[in-house]
Amino acid sequence: MALALGGALLAPGLAQAAGTLTVALASDAESWDPIDTFILDWGRVGSNIYDGLIQRTPDLKLQPGLALSWEMLDDNTRIRFKLRPNVTFHDGEPFNADAVKYSFDRLLGEEGGKGPQQANYTAIKSVEVIDDMTVDFHLGSPDPVLLTKLAGYGAMIVPPKYVEEHGEEYFNAHPCGTGPFKFVEYTPKVSLTLEANPDYWDGAPKVDKLVYRFIAEAATQVAELQSGGIDIATLVPISLLDTIKADSNLTVESITGPNAVALRFNTKDGITKDPKVRKALIEAVDREAIIEQILQGNGKPIASFQSSLSFGNDPDLKPIPYDPDAAQAALTEAGVAPGSKVELDFVGSDATFREVAQTVAAFLQGIGLDPQLKSYETNVLFKDVIPNGKTGDLFQMTWGGWTFDYDNTAYLLYHSGQYWNPYDKDQTLDDMLEKQRNTYDQDARQTILRQIADYVADQAIEMPLYNLNTIYAMNKRVHDLPPTPDIRFRFNGVTLD
Amino acid sequence: MTGFLLRRIGLAVFVILAVTVLVAYSVRLSGDPTAMLLTGSGNITQADIDRIRAALGVDRPFVAQYLDFLGGVLHGDLGLTFFGKTSVNALIAQALPATLLLAFLSLGLSLLISIPLGIHAAVHRGSWSDQTVRLLSLVGLSFPNFWLAMMFVLIFAITLHWLPTSGFFGASSLVMPAATLGLILCAINVRLVRGAMLETLSTQYILVARSKGLAERLVLYKHALRNCLIPILTYVGLQFGDLIGGVVIVEKVFNWPGMGSLAFDAISARDYPVIQGVVLVLATLIVLVNLAVDIAYGLVDPRVRLR
Repeated sequence: MALALGGALLAPGLAQAAGTLTVALASDAESWDPIDTFILDWGRVGSNIYDGLIQRTPDLKLQPGLALSWEMLDDNTRIRFKLRPNVTFHDGEPFNADAVKYSFDRLLGEEGGKGPQQANYTAIKSVEVIDDMTVDFHLGSPDPVLLTKLAGYGAMIVPPKYVEEHGEEYFNAHPCGTGPFKFVEYTPKVSLTLEANPDYWDGAPKVDKLVYRFIAEAATQVAELQSGGIDIATLVPISLLDTIKADSNLTVESITGPNAVALRFNTKDGITKDPKVRKALIEAVDREAIIEQILQGNGKPIASFQSSLSFGNDPDLKPIPYDPDAAQAALTEAGVAPGSKVELDFVGSDATFREVAQTVAAFLQGIGLDPQLKSYETNVLFKDVIPNGKTGDLFQMTWGGWTFDYDNTAYLLYHSGQYWNPYDKDQTLDDMLEKQRNTYDQDARQTILRQIADYVADQAIEMPLYNLNTIYAMNKRVHDLPPTPDIRFRFNGVTLD
Repeated sequence: MTGFLLRRIGLAVFVILAVTVLVAYSVRLSGDPTAMLLTGSGNITQADIDRIRAALGVDRPFVAQYLDFLGGVLHGDLGLTFFGKTSVNALIAQALPATLLLAFLSLGLSLLISIPLGIHAAVHRGSWSDQTVRLLSLVGLSFPNFWLAMMFVLIFAITLHWLPTSGFFGASSLVMPAATLGLILCAINVRLVRGAMLETLSTQYILVARSKGLAERLVLYKHALRNCLIPILTYVGLQFGDLIGGVVIVEKVFNWPGMGSLAFDAISARDYPVIQGVVLVLATLIVLVNLAVDIAYGLVDPRVRLR
């Protein structure tokens, strides 16, 4: 019956117009206003509609965007930006200093307060228009990562007249910026369509149309990729990699990404209170085997809780080697009784991590412990169990962030009193973390950040597991898309067969 | 009859209210939308979380939030989504027709196949064709619908390129989702039809009809089918609720822009207004279908009314 029906209705909407690039995203951000964004998928769209003052290249270098140049003044309390002339928004209004001031006043004011982006830019006290093409940012507190953040999601420049005339709700669903693609149509939960902006200041895009389809199921994204319904799948589970690789029309990109995965220890109670025991637990787990077997090589060993691309990563700091015999000896010496219970808390919905957790448990069993796996719903683990210090001996954390700066991880995870640090109060660590935040000398910062990583490794505050690769898959008809570790694709250079 | 109707309608309103209270309350127990911030990353502090919670209005007591929702419902307004500030009414207006289309189509498909097949199996009870139908129905009952869906995709979309893999691109997009749901329903219904038919065929009036020398076709389709249609249609009415539930998984696999996908995404994002809206509409729909069945019962069978 299905066969007969299938033969009868031969009108699939698969054929694509020349020059249309179709990208599948796992989630619909729902609001396309830069200051509202809650999710990473926003960046894959927003980076094509808007520009920031500063841009970051695919190899993570900062370069001029809507600002031609910038300089730090008055002992690093003021940044002066010279703006790019002759740029217009998609609605035709000119880009100028007023637009910059409007965008940041909005971000730092009441409207921005309703969203999560404001928190990244609180170092900016005010924005002052000097002349039509010059603005000054007055800083209230030092933030050495601010320039990178200005290349981020929340700092993108919006058109003042357009937003004021149409209102916030309209702007959410009808975005307008200065970027390489212009908004055409948005159907919530289904798709978002953009078209090339022929007047883009950095050259018109080479594809005519850019269509995003929201497909939450990884298997469906891969099936669409195989059948030609989409050109790029951004949700590619490791279990489906072989299927994609077997298809001669498709290609997989697996590149070093921002996300690091670790098991943190409860350093306050139980056997993991003792740093020697924590080190022994790290020694007991063969992390390389986990990367090879479970991740199928799509990850890298790490010695600290950061990506190898992160600012502050020390290539000379090596992971503690796998040595179960030494681990067992250390446990005996520390007086840990054989058969002691160790609880490992993790998020149950992540199939890959579930396997990782089971493997870690097997390794811990190998040195005579009695591991208990406890899976939680995401919300419960991250909103209650961790911040309130109710975890077991080990708990899962994945950390990344598009800034690629160790400060973003270290400060929030190790400084006393932070949301993500329920157990430790360490003055040495606090001092180092504050010191690197108060200087704009990037060399000095790098030195301190490396010292922090060293110190954390020495205290064995967590068991660093791996740096997970960013994986996406494409149809081979897509060319000139540079591998982008921060997963914010810009499609203006892309060509299609 | 009026008293019976009023009682039924009063009960229906109570059920719908109870369902929305239960859902609105339990979804709040499982965490709030600011969790989305935490699973991403960045400079989030407790103060930021508090500020955003206040902006969304989720820091108020549950009763205040629920009464707000109820007040909106009385004005026909389900509110705005948390993240996009889009109207929930508009989202549901887009998703509900897609889901109903899929549900009715698969129900129709299942009846179209299961009625003749069930009758055939009942008439030729014990024959090889009866055995085959029963075996196939058992197979159909035992495999999960998402597996069948993936197999369809593999064959008709990836290998043969006959049908679109997912989404809604016109009539061709309906084929695979409707066939997946319809075939699984068919496996249940064919057993039901067979059972009902067997019972009817053993009754006296069929014996009378046959001994009058009526043609077998007339006996089966005029006398027997009409009588066993009553339990079948009643059951199908009840099945509608299950069908709406089962649609969620199939909608997910085929990325069908229906109520299931809407609810699923809203639950993972803790977008309360959307969850509440979807549950209210679906609960009302299911209650209405059941109410219609109850009333139809009352019309057909006076004994029900008396009770």
